[in-house]
Amino acid sequence: MNDVIKKEAVLNHAIDVVWNAITKAEEISTWFIPADFKAEKGYKYTFTSPPNEKGCTVISGEVKNASPYVLIYTWIVADTKVETTVKWELETTSNGTKLSLEHSDISNYAGETAVAMFESFNGGWDNCISGLTSYLKQEVNAG
Amino acid sequence: MQDKITKLFKAIADPTRRDIFHALVIATSALSITQISNQFDITRQGVTKHIKTLEEAGLVYINTQGRERFCNANAKPLKEVNKWIKFYEQFWDDKLQNLEDFLNTKNS
Repeated sequence: MNDVIKKEAVLNHAIDVVWNAITKAEEISTWFIPADFKAEKGYKYTFTSPPNEKGCTVISGEVKNASPYVLIYTWIVADTKVETTVKWELETTSNGTKLSLEHSDISNYAGETAVAMFESFNGGWDNCISGLTSYLKQEVNAG
Repeated sequence: MQDKITKLFKAIADPTRRDIFHALVIATSALSITQISNQFDITRQGVTKHIKTLEEAGLVYINTQGRERFCNANAKPLKEVNKWIKFYEQFWDDKLQNLEDFLNTKNS
């Protein structure tokens, strides 16, 4: 079974611009999830989705690597104690920056925690994400 | 539903069970407990235990013929896991799109 999700995107921006967007708390908070984050090895970060009637999903973890241009952190959803790993890697290309994203160790969970994880993803998460999407739209319109 | 997923994860958490399941998936016909234990160098008792766990997770069907039991793989429950993967596929696609929009807005 495939237990790694891989994504690639080519962004028409300089590598440092993209690096800032994925490592600086105020930028992460704008396009991703409101964040308490520092790109320092060992920093324990939290991402808190905007609240809704079902409460909110908090993602936390620890920064494992933050040397340009590789960012790695663990990813634990709410109280599931299930640890997966997210890795961002940037590379300069002729037309901007290639971003490679890997979300791994997905099969590295079992039993009750997996159930909790499914529940938080199937229910609460959808709401948190749609909340985030409208938040971002507002931000863009306001700007 | 909850119970089902718990059993599924228990079943696929063990490497030997994954190997047995894989052997059943690629086998052209059902395999007997004897055939499986020969192939994996595990006792019949051990195989029976693994098969039982796989059966409880819905990953294996068993047909009894005479004194022998024949096992068939059923990959359907893995769709549950697939659902999880699909969630994140979509999640990251959306987020990367947000990132692109963010960068374009910021630098325009």
